[in-house]
Amino acid sequence: MKKKLLAALLSVAMVATLLAGCGGGGSDTTDTTETTDTTEETTDAAETEETADAGTAAAGDLHLEIVSKGLQHAYWQAVLNGVNSKAEELGVSVNFVGPDSESNIQQQVQQLESALNADPSAIGLAALDTESVMDLLNRAVEAGIPIVGFDSGVPGAPEGAIVANCSTDNLAAGGLAAENVYAAIQATVQAATSPVRVGVVAQDATSESVVNRGVGFITKIAELAEADGKTVGMASVSNERYVTDSGVEVNDDADFIIEVRVPASVTSELSAADASAILEQDDTIAIYGSNEHSANAIITANENLNKCGTGEGQVIAAGFDSGAGIMDAVRSGLFLGAVTQAPVAMGEKLVETLVAAANGEEVSDIDTGCQWYTAENMDDPEIAQNLYE
Amino acid sequence: MTDKKNGNAFTNNPIVRAIGVQKIVVVLVLIIMLVFFGVAAPSFRSYASLLSIMDYTYYLAFLGIGVTFCLITGGVDLSIGTGMFCYALIGGYLITKQGMPVIVGILVTLLCGVIMGLINGLIVSKGGHAPFLATLCTMMIARGLGAIFTGGVSITWPLSSSPEGWTRSIFKFSLASGTKIPLGFLWVMIAAVVMSIFLNKTRPGRYIIAIGSNKEATRLSGINVAKYQTLAYVISGFFTGLAALAYSSAFQSMAPGGGAGTELNAIGGAIIGGTSMSGGSGSIAGTILGVFIMSVLQTGLPKVNLQANMQQIIIGVVLIIAVYIDVLKNKKLS
Repeated sequence: MKKKLLAALLSVAMVATLLAGCGGGGSDTTDTTETTDTTEETTDAAETEETADAGTAAAGDLHLEIVSKGLQHAYWQAVLNGVNSKAEELGVSVNFVGPDSESNIQQQVQQLESALNADPSAIGLAALDTESVMDLLNRAVEAGIPIVGFDSGVPGAPEGAIVANCSTDNLAAGGLAAENVYAAIQATVQAATSPVRVGVVAQDATSESVVNRGVGFITKIAELAEADGKTVGMASVSNERYVTDSGVEVNDDADFIIEVRVPASVTSELSAADASAILEQDDTIAIYGSNEHSANAIITANENLNKCGTGEGQVIAAGFDSGAGIMDAVRSGLFLGAVTQAPVAMGEKLVETLVAAANGEEVSDIDTGCQWYTAENMDDPEIAQNLYE
Repeated sequence: MTDKKNGNAFTNNPIVRAIGVQKIVVVLVLIIMLVFFGVAAPSFRSYASLLSIMDYTYYLAFLGIGVTFCLITGGVDLSIGTGMFCYALIGGYLITKQGMPVIVGILVTLLCGVIMGLINGLIVSKGGHAPFLATLCTMMIARGLGAIFTGGVSITWPLSSSPEGWTRSIFKFSLASGTKIPLGFLWVMIAAVVMSIFLNKTRPGRYIIAIGSNKEATRLSGINVAKYQTLAYVISGFFTGLAALAYSSAFQSMAPGGGAGTELNAIGGAIIGGTSMSGGSGSIAGTILGVFIMSVLQTGLPKVNLQANMQQIIIGVVLIIAVYIDVLKNKKLS
């Protein structure tokens, strides 16, 4: 009896994990309000076209279809704002859609199919899963409809299917954080007679964007420290993917040690424990969280440790992305600053590239840029438009 | 617990018998772990470390206290992990996105837990579903609900710097000097004492134990089994609501769809503490001790410079040992 019960429980645990994995997808399918929103946006875009048509006749015939990864998140709303303003300026009509959640791959495939059926001049696509849109990509190539990737683009797409990508250069974005952090710690590093440590809290070692934001930071800060005549090494506890990708060798005895911690699964508790483990070491002088989750983990850990800040003897902390917690930390001086992507600019550049591609012009990949924000500049309109709680 | 015939001098000692062998073992393990981490990681011997352990303990303890009642009836509640996130997301959404008073958010969070507990209880007791299947379904429902309610956006409960941030002070109180007091420990202890008395000294509590020991006999002796079985799940739901408050006070933000796996940490804590997976026996004090083992492991392992995946393996091994002790104990009893 006991054995049976144990066996039953074990199988349930396994089924639970399985179901939990696919559970998210099904649960989000019936959000009717979002569909309404989408239709409204479509109408908006159509109206835009009407008003703009009068002035610019040349581009007026162009119709663009844009399939994003979602619409709910403020990030995508910011992309949409950029798309709308640029579409109005150029006098093109745009239909901007996205699935109800980032796990709803099937819905995105259907949306891309509808987009193709609308026979647009060009399509913008941020694919959730390249494999599932492969057939549609081929159909677009056959129909001669250019596709421009944006945000995370269409990784692994067949040659020629994607004419250009409009995305944040995550390596450069990580590098931007490194430059600003290093400027704040340079004096300490130069004066140091014993090893100093810089920590990186990373959410995972699988997502391309998360890894690149970490690797970009590591390579840049290693380069800057070496330029100051320091030996640079990774702590042996660091995640292997980051060690390999950054090319910085493991060396616990270096003058300038970089320690990258990645949790076994993405939970706030595990990441906060990682951040604590880094902050608690006496030689830690700076810490960087490479996305909202990781930056929040640093804030949680600091609640107990109270080590972060820009004052004498405090640990310099930096984050990535915005959100209520990070913005509060930057504003209060707990964080030196954080990097934000520029979704509005991404939307604008996407429309520009789509129009150019539709007109048969040669297009190439575009870095839509990122910004370093601090307590001083975060209220500037140029930056504030890219920050959201 | 231990049969007198099979026992030895240690297990037959009246004091040991009064406290329970497993609890003494757990306390010893806890002390060994604290000493080990204290020696292996100097940073573990700090007040901040204690605060971190407490951050984990609060929500796990509340989840553990609640699920202990389900385990004692011979059931289980798998919905507590995603449920905790779901209720905290809903409550936090009402406060931060809808501008409702914090107290409304807190009450809604608790109410959501109670409602979900009631649903679980009714499906199990009236619907006759196996508890793990019933709560597996509500686990998925809770996961989806939280995401739909917030529109797929992560939620941050009011930060301690904001005027509405007083919920965080309930669990971690900042003195004017900047020193933080782990006030939540007091609430966990009060909850543990109250629920322990409820379980052992009140009629409904005794009925819940009786259901787990022998459901049929309990029913035949005229006790409304369905009612008290449902009660166990409602208690679990209510404590999940409390855990949601503790979690949202300790951590920065919650992402929709999260929380899966947390239930296993809480159930694991209860099992380590001596609650039987087959029902009929268990104690709140044991669960609290078991939960402490989990939170000390979670806090201590990253500090001894172990790779993240290695930490998971160690926690898994500890759980296997705990379940094995449970199996051994049951063998002896039968």
